[in-house]
Amino acid sequence: MLKTFRHRWRAWVNRRLPRSDSRLFTQKTIFILPTGAGVVFGILLLIMLVTGINYQNSLIYLMTFLLGAVFVGAMHQTHNNLSGLKLTLLRTGEDFAGQSVPFHFRATASKRGAVAIRLSCDGEVLPPIHVLPDQSVDVALFVPSSSRGYLRPERVLIETRFPFGLLKAWSWLRPATAAIVFPAPLKAPEAQLMMGEGDDENAAQSAPGQDHADLRPWREGDLSQRVLWKRFARSGQMVVADWQGDQGQPHWLDFNHYPGVDAELRLSYLSSLVQDRSKQQAPFGLRLPGQVIEPDTGATHTQRCLRALAVWGQKPPRDAIRWPHGTRDREVSDSQTAPDVHVGGAA
Amino acid sequence: MSASGMAAGKARGDVPTGALLWLIAGFAVLLLPQWDRLPLWLISACGILAAWRWFAQTGRVRLPGRWTRTLTMLLLIGVYIATVKARFTVDTAASFFVLAVALKWLETRAPRDFYVLFFILAYLAAVNFLFRQDILWAITNIAGVALLLIGLQSLNAPDLPGGFPSGWRRLGGLLLKTLPVVVLLFIFFPRMSPLWSVPLVSGEARTGITDTMKPGDISGLAQSSERAFRVTFGGTIPPYRDRYWRGLVLDRLDGETWRQSREEPFQAPGRVAVDGGVGPLAANEYDVLMEPTDQRWAFALKGSSPASDNVYEEEEDLFRFRRPADSPVRYRLSLSEGQTGTGLALASDQRRRYLQLPAMGNPRARELGRTLARDYSDPQVIGHLLERFRTQPYFYTLRPPKMPDDGIDALLFDEKRGFCAHYAGATTFVLRAAGIPSRIVVGYQGGEPGAGGDYLIVRQYDAHAWVEAWLPQRGWVRIDPTAAISPARVESGLRDAVADEGSFLEGEVLSAQKYRDLAIVQWATLQLDRINYEWQRWVVGYQGQSQMDLMSRLSGGLGLRELGYLTAGIVGAALLVAGLFSALQLRRGERRDAYQRVIRAWHQTCERAGVPVRQGETPDTLAERLARVQPSIASTARHFARMVNNHYYNPASDEDLQALRRLRRLNAVMKRQLRRPEQGSQRTS
Repeated sequence: MLKTFRHRWRAWVNRRLPRSDSRLFTQKTIFILPTGAGVVFGILLLIMLVTGINYQNSLIYLMTFLLGAVFVGAMHQTHNNLSGLKLTLLRTGEDFAGQSVPFHFRATASKRGAVAIRLSCDGEVLPPIHVLPDQSVDVALFVPSSSRGYLRPERVLIETRFPFGLLKAWSWLRPATAAIVFPAPLKAPEAQLMMGEGDDENAAQSAPGQDHADLRPWREGDLSQRVLWKRFARSGQMVVADWQGDQGQPHWLDFNHYPGVDAELRLSYLSSLVQDRSKQQAPFGLRLPGQVIEPDTGATHTQRCLRALAVWGQKPPRDAIRWPHGTRDREVSDSQTAPDVHVGGAA
Repeated sequence: MSASGMAAGKARGDVPTGALLWLIAGFAVLLLPQWDRLPLWLISACGILAAWRWFAQTGRVRLPGRWTRTLTMLLLIGVYIATVKARFTVDTAASFFVLAVALKWLETRAPRDFYVLFFILAYLAAVNFLFRQDILWAITNIAGVALLLIGLQSLNAPDLPGGFPSGWRRLGGLLLKTLPVVVLLFIFFPRMSPLWSVPLVSGEARTGITDTMKPGDISGLAQSSERAFRVTFGGTIPPYRDRYWRGLVLDRLDGETWRQSREEPFQAPGRVAVDGGVGPLAANEYDVLMEPTDQRWAFALKGSSPASDNVYEEEEDLFRFRRPADSPVRYRLSLSEGQTGTGLALASDQRRRYLQLPAMGNPRARELGRTLARDYSDPQVIGHLLERFRTQPYFYTLRPPKMPDDGIDALLFDEKRGFCAHYAGATTFVLRAAGIPSRIVVGYQGGEPGAGGDYLIVRQYDAHAWVEAWLPQRGWVRIDPTAAISPARVESGLRDAVADEGSFLEGEVLSAQKYRDLAIVQWATLQLDRINYEWQRWVVGYQGQSQMDLMSRLSGGLGLRELGYLTAGIVGAALLVAGLFSALQLRRGERRDAYQRVIRAWHQTCERAGVPVRQGETPDTLAERLARVQPSIASTARHFARMVNNHYYNPASDEDLQALRRLRRLNAVMKRQLRRPEQGSQRTS
């Protein structure tokens, strides 16, 4: 009973607050209720009123009305405090599973300003921020991650209890953009790696000989160490010894190296290896079922590999667009045949 | 305290320093109205405990642990029980309340405790109103509550931008905006009768006349400048010498003490109805606002009859409330001209009562009475006695000598110095010895005009005692021996009567009445009294009857039920207006951008065309989608989108108004075109 109610409430809120990276909080999207203290305050007013009635004391009546008016006034102040505020998800961070991933928000106030605004998500609460009128404040909210993949908080709570803490006005931002959480690195077992085809290739990697290498012209992104400078001096041609280019595959990190191991575990191993390689600045490639990343080095490459590991086998979460009812499935399954879907990209 | 320290405190779930400071300030202010009814030990305990909390906040001491706390609590509650001695009155309840607040200081660690304190203190403000209703105290109370609210604000935003002036501004704005609603509620909220009867029994001894009188009693009262009551006359104010405010009659001499022979009937404590008549005063009516006395007697001029129903007439021409006056009472009486008890005979038991004398004592006074009675008729006896007071060197003094044995004899024949109580007692004694039924009347005589001169203030030093004697043809006649001895007393008051002696308000160093010669002090006190009087009459005294009266004067005449509806209506309307107002504000903010309005209109057009807008979509994308669905308006839509882009990416362009007009026209064109070929184009998509 309670569960279905809560479910319905959620569904209703979600309909009301579609996913979006930016939201201007207005009357339509702000919820306001008395806090526990507010309820006690109401009871206090009732007691005061009864005292006033019983002692026929006009001034107690007056005090009761005054405090009651303060409560109602506070309701408007609390509401107005949040109303007109705009919260935007600027960018999301990336990190390994188990870490907290930063979500960077910008809160922009209207003419009114906003005081003591609290952002929170999944138990992570930021200290209250004050946004001066027509100014903005950037904050980072760290959302704890548990597993690899797309991390997108169901809702980020924005709340204020200003001025008296008797009422709280709140709303949610349901970010559309997801953060990417890399698989938690796990030391890959040596033996399993050996089991792969790469026994001698490993040896080759440890002692790379120039005669094994493919020679190819230099292209952007090649490390300068790999340029054959002697040859350059001789012929003026920038030639690179591409010693991963051969069929040895010593530097391929392959999903299939760990047969029989759980897929997530494999991804964790690979994640650890990618980190190692990246630290050694050694070039490596990544092979995942359905996806191959050519060997390379550098931060961007590492990032790319880790991302591939993170989202492998996962669908990107629904995006921010509020699809007309019933069109989403069509969009995902046969996007080719729906002509208006790609307009966004085309324009 | 530094900002970093505050932040650290916050992290521990502590109360911010600023908030604590405001709360302590609020506590101090709310204790002020209680200062003279709280025992000294409790006030010091409050100070010490609050200071302890404050020093703990600044880190100079630690907050007590559980043991110390329990010990302190037990100790203070022990002291409380010992001093209260099981007398349960509103006073003791109030002091227990204060004690609870004081103890709570040691426990204020988290915001939650802060709220508990806030609630208790807010209620303390209401309790304060039970005891004091003067306007200055009311302002003090409201100021205390404002401090508490600032404390709450500071708790919720410890580092408010703009500092505490901005906090006060916010609160002030809030109060100002809600003031009309408060006033309307105050006027229209139906005043119900008490849900259950609650006595406001106070353990405090009140200054005022009592129902027994020993010779020295009233001179003690003469040292107090406290206000007894205030009177407004519908007609002219009677001259000073006729302002005899009768309170009660003492007719039994018991040794040295005069008492009432009739016992006051036992009256369960309860609320005296505050309604003291409404509407304008008739010419023969007067309206009395009496300070609480905890007694049932009302003060009235001779020949009055009740004009409000919270007061009724008893025998001996006295007036009584139905319940003891534990809070200020307003009542109304009307004067009937020249009515005395003509033709009324005194019943024999009454005659016996008014001739009662102790068996022994004061032989010379008895002898004087008997001699006078032998030589003269009753009126002549009275005349001779007054003549004696007038001609012989009798003195009216606030410093009478001690007359322990046969005091009346000593006063009449030896010392000849006394206060009104002495002379009234002696006169009654002699008259009774002469066989004339007589009695002592206790009350007030005089009253000085308040600011503006349209009402009288009667103070405790106006307390007076005089004599009434029964004359067969004339009924009860007032005889005031004091008037014979010291005419100034009844012509202009005690101050002038004892001016030579310099004994006026000897004990009251701070009384403004004492410094009446200083014009500014006099002026200020009178103005303040006037404000207070109006405040008491119109605000404090605004209760059931006065509300009904006001409402009945409104068109239609409102009953209690209508008032209830009206109140609900006011609250609803206030909420609605406030809601509308903020909605309008919001709307205005949106309206500022006319472009946005046009774009919104366009979005609606799109939606109608079957192309719902997606969030975060650029105008171009939308136009393309629209073009695909409705090829007939493709070019118009693209043109529109281009113009919108132009506006947003070239904000410098100054053809804004024109562009806006063009946009509107384009949108209208689209709408029209959509409406015309409706069926055809829709199918093709």
